[in-house]
Amino acid sequence: MPDAAPLPLEPRAVVLDARAAGRDDAIRQCGELLLAVGAITEPYIASMLERERSISTYVGEGVAIPHGTAKAKQDVLRDAVCVVRFPEGVDWDGERVGLCVGIAAKGNGHVALLAALADVLLDPDRARNLREATEVETVMKELL
Amino acid sequence: MPERTVAVASSSGLHARPAKIFVQEAARQGVRVRIRVGEGKPVPASSMLGVLSLGAVHGTQVTLDADGPGAEEALDTLVKLLSRDLDAGEAVDG
Repeated sequence: MPDAAPLPLEPRAVVLDARAAGRDDAIRQCGELLLAVGAITEPYIASMLERERSISTYVGEGVAIPHGTAKAKQDVLRDAVCVVRFPEGVDWDGERVGLCVGIAAKGNGHVALLAALADVLLDPDRARNLREATEVETVMKELL
Repeated sequence: MPERTVAVASSSGLHARPAKIFVQEAARQGVRVRIRVGEGKPVPASSMLGVLSLGAVHGTQVTLDADGPGAEEALDTLVKLLSRDLDAGEAVDG
């Protein structure tokens, strides 16, 4: 897939100064945001936690990409991502996560979403811009 | 430089668990292995972000290359891995 599709992100799904008690709390906050923008129904959040227990969604660069399991596709109303920044960091099974990108996608849509996101994070400058973003516009600019 | 092309066999494509297994195995090889899709830019096979950026789904043809002593063996190992459904037996993956 050579051309990355723009990520389905809206400004109200971006939180830049979050705090989490731990990994599961951070995932729950991502889920609540996806719920708030109408991308998922509530059961999807439990499936995000289930997925994380099965396999870590930490991808490097201080970024984790929590998303639900295949079984939870029915709980996705539309494709969306949310961005939650944790300036103090969250312990993620020994890794330090400063940024979560929560993902909801129907069908195989998550593969393209992950590819588009990975493309951004592979660029050290853009990854740093995201990790250190203090303005919602900065996040929107890097991800859209 | 020796290279091999193989179709991704995992039903959910090369992400999540299959990607993690592949990346870990690539990192264990004694040589630097790269992976690409078609004529796309090769990325290190040992980089999770790199592998995710390929957007490889079930059936996507990926090309591996490696150079130096042990390159052929490393490619054999990784091609064998990609030819298997790494999701098999995993009810919660996708």
